[in-house]
Amino acid sequence: MSVDLEVDLGGLQLRNPVMPASGCFGFGREYGEYYSLDELGAVVVKATTLYPRLGNPTPRVTEVTGGMLNAIGLANPGLDEVLAEELPWLAGQNVPIFVNVAGDTVEDYCEVVEQVSRSGLAQAVELNVSCPNVKLGGLAFGVDATVLRGLVEEVRKVCTLPLFVKLSPNVTRVQDLALAAACGGADGLSLINTLIGMQIDLTTRKPVLANKTGGLSGRAIKPVAVRMVYDVAREVDLPIIGMGGIYSGRDAAEFIMAGAWAVEVGTANFTDPYACPRIIAELRSFMQEEGIKNIEEIRGCAL
Amino acid sequence: MLVEENKQLSRDIFALELTGEFPYEKATSGQFVNLLIGDGKGHPLRRPLSIASCNPETKTLTLVYRVVGDGTKWLSERCPGDVLDVLGPLGRGFPAPQNPGTVLVVGGGVGVPPLYQLAKELGAAGFKLHIVLGFKNQDDVFWTREFAEFGDVVVCTEDGSLGKKGFVTEALNVNENWTTLYSCGPKPMLKALKAHFQGRDIKGYVSLEERMACGVGACWGCTCLDPDGSAAKRICKEGPVFSWEEVSL
Repeated sequence: MSVDLEVDLGGLQLRNPVMPASGCFGFGREYGEYYSLDELGAVVVKATTLYPRLGNPTPRVTEVTGGMLNAIGLANPGLDEVLAEELPWLAGQNVPIFVNVAGDTVEDYCEVVEQVSRSGLAQAVELNVSCPNVKLGGLAFGVDATVLRGLVEEVRKVCTLPLFVKLSPNVTRVQDLALAAACGGADGLSLINTLIGMQIDLTTRKPVLANKTGGLSGRAIKPVAVRMVYDVAREVDLPIIGMGGIYSGRDAAEFIMAGAWAVEVGTANFTDPYACPRIIAELRSFMQEEGIKNIEEIRGCAL
Repeated sequence: MLVEENKQLSRDIFALELTGEFPYEKATSGQFVNLLIGDGKGHPLRRPLSIASCNPETKTLTLVYRVVGDGTKWLSERCPGDVLDVLGPLGRGFPAPQNPGTVLVVGGGVGVPPLYQLAKELGAAGFKLHIVLGFKNQDDVFWTREFAEFGDVVVCTEDGSLGKKGFVTEALNVNENWTTLYSCGPKPMLKALKAHFQGRDIKGYVSLEERMACGVGACWGCTCLDPDGSAAKRICKEGPVFSWEEVSL
């Protein structure tokens, strides 16, 4: 049985619903040495800020049971280099590009989004308002509905590409933030970013990460992520990209049943560099086994 | 890859000999592999282990590791015939010496293993080697005889229980005519070495260690800074071997 994995993500045609998550895939070059990137539904690149960022002191990654903590701190080469060196290469790989954008101020976000829009090198923007590892910006915009709506409204004015807002799970009611982003003019939502966590080294008796806290990702967060996708899908009528602990085609199917239109794969890339193409193949097999002709048949079926 | 042998070398150091499919010809000293622990479900992050020895003729890859937690404990329990998922070789290894003359090789603790493959390569290329290996105490010492095949070896222990007492720098006379220094070990040792040879006409290389996630340069988890602190380098991609001039220690 041939199955159709194509997804229309609010006007953006993806050949399948699986894309690597921001921060877990650089700008595509590294995993491009392992497989052809045109197998992917899209690539979400590392958070890009107006100016280069070195990120937090090391150690900034550590393993925990069933997952990992990271406190990279939005290290990236900055907008100019991303536009000059990274996106032109990735644009030649025949895969839609989502540029994840972060900033310290509304002006920063707008400047980056405007230039990315104008560059003609990207197909969508993912607004990062949920990084738990930086003091300014990031999460500061993602936990207050009024602040978030204001930011999305301003960015919307300069964004000519489909605009996705990546939501934080570190809030009481994620639906409220989802609604705020929708009211601000978002075309879609991605969720969830990492959950704030900590690990203490019993020998040094101090936190392992130099930043002390870090974002929890991996298998451990999947049930939380599925629940949040479900909650948002019930209240907000926008395309959702679901993520959080996706390691298999069946995990991806679970998010789609919870209401996601597409999924992002993060930590799984570190465990298995071929995770994304494997998940696509597994999703196809799952659909064949279950007699699902079109992936859209199961979208939100659990709601 | 298939486990051929998994042997305890000292108090908490093990040598894992692997065979099977691996791009042996591509591997150079100083590179590493990223090894999956179990099926990855409990341990999502692979363990970066330096290549201690790589032999394309016998198709064997040797990794030496210290047992520090659950993951490496699991690894120490693998038996001949077990299959392991090995990703590599990864990173940039030790470059060849730019000048003829005696090469200085300095290792500390679990930083000693990658220098074995280096010593093997340099020995085969006809370089004269002076090798200094530092350990905490006699229970930690391993492979000193193996290294002696490639040059003269000085062993130091911090408590003096074996070899010279003290740190490796105390066993190094800066007036000797060494042209190149290769080192791997704890950061304070690498720092002390650089300071020890400050102003001397010697080319220095260090192999750095850091907690890693992807191991291939995608996540920016394992970075270090250049000397003026203005740019980051990925230890897994641009490193783990750097020249003294490239990084701040």
